[in-house]
Amino acid sequence: MFRNDPDTWSAAAKLFHWGMALLIFAQIALGLLAVSWRLSPTKLDLFVWHKSTGMLILALLALRLAWRLSHRVPALPLEMPAWERAGARVSHFLLYTLMLALPLTGWVISSASGVPFRIFWTIPLPAVAAPDKGLADQFATIHGWLVSLLALVLVAHIGAALRHHYVKKDTVLARMLPWSPS
Amino acid sequence: MKILLFCAFLAASPVLAADWKMDPAGSRLEFVATFEKNPAPGVFREFDARLAFDPEKPAGGSLHVTVKVTSADMSIPDVNKEIRNKDWFDYAGFPGAEFHSTELRRVEGNRYAARGTLSLKGVKQAVEVPFTWASSGDGATIEGELTLRRGDFGIGLGEWKATDTIGAEVKVKFKVKLKKA
Repeated sequence: MFRNDPDTWSAAAKLFHWGMALLIFAQIALGLLAVSWRLSPTKLDLFVWHKSTGMLILALLALRLAWRLSHRVPALPLEMPAWERAGARVSHFLLYTLMLALPLTGWVISSASGVPFRIFWTIPLPAVAAPDKGLADQFATIHGWLVSLLALVLVAHIGAALRHHYVKKDTVLARMLPWSPS
Repeated sequence: MKILLFCAFLAASPVLAADWKMDPAGSRLEFVATFEKNPAPGVFREFDARLAFDPEKPAGGSLHVTVKVTSADMSIPDVNKEIRNKDWFDYAGFPGAEFHSTELRRVEGNRYAARGTLSLKGVKQAVEVPFTWASSGDGATIEGELTLRRGDFGIGLGEWKATDTIGAEVKVKFKVKLKKA
């Protein structure tokens, strides 16, 4: 269940992949809603949801990276050209980097804005920066650029997966599907 | 009988309580609201307190406090911009708040209470302000805290009346350094 065969992803890998995919899409929606909502109790709640989900993603990422670095991943199809292999490696590396950088920059924004925050209204999150409006604005800009980059990489990631399935007709997407054999 | 009457007169008559005025440098008036279950502290940078007080005979004394509400500072720029609005403190409509005691009494030891009227955002409410008294040389310090419900004073109107994001209770803490007037 936890080991990847040369051609299949384990149930753990699939759970990480699809669970975090779901969280990341929800997270992008929450973030966009939170910043655009007019100031109201709803806006404050949206921010708590967004920040809490971000911290959840960060915690899951730590587990996922530990898992990923200690397991072999299924091989890419032999006939894949070198540029596609390079593209896959770069985009996966970017996805992991962004999954780390987005929560971390968000954490800095939250701290620098001086607004106290409890994860899901319960666990207080320590500040990683002193209150500083300039710093908060600077990191908000970076956070925004990172999420734009994430959107681009996700389009490439999903586009490539669909191309593997419908154009190249290989098993790259199918073997990650939840109902495929593990 | 005469003695009894004299005693009654003594008890009821205002004693000559000393007059004290505030030393702003050593004094603080803080309030702690809650924001999404977190404490959200603020201060009123400008306020003044006058006390007529004899620690042995508090009954004859009085406490008067004026607060420049517009000097509130919650240290987050966005929040400071918001609290000046009609929904919150309404700086334009109600720039000041006041407390005037009607009765001072000793609770026990160095603990006292000032019963009186608080006027805040156009609302007058009877409140009791507990405080401790500590004198040192020719100065003294009073300290205390009380809890108010922001809804009683219309602080947080409209959708902000809901108390799950911004809590209902606000703790008010003060430390006032006094000099003989």
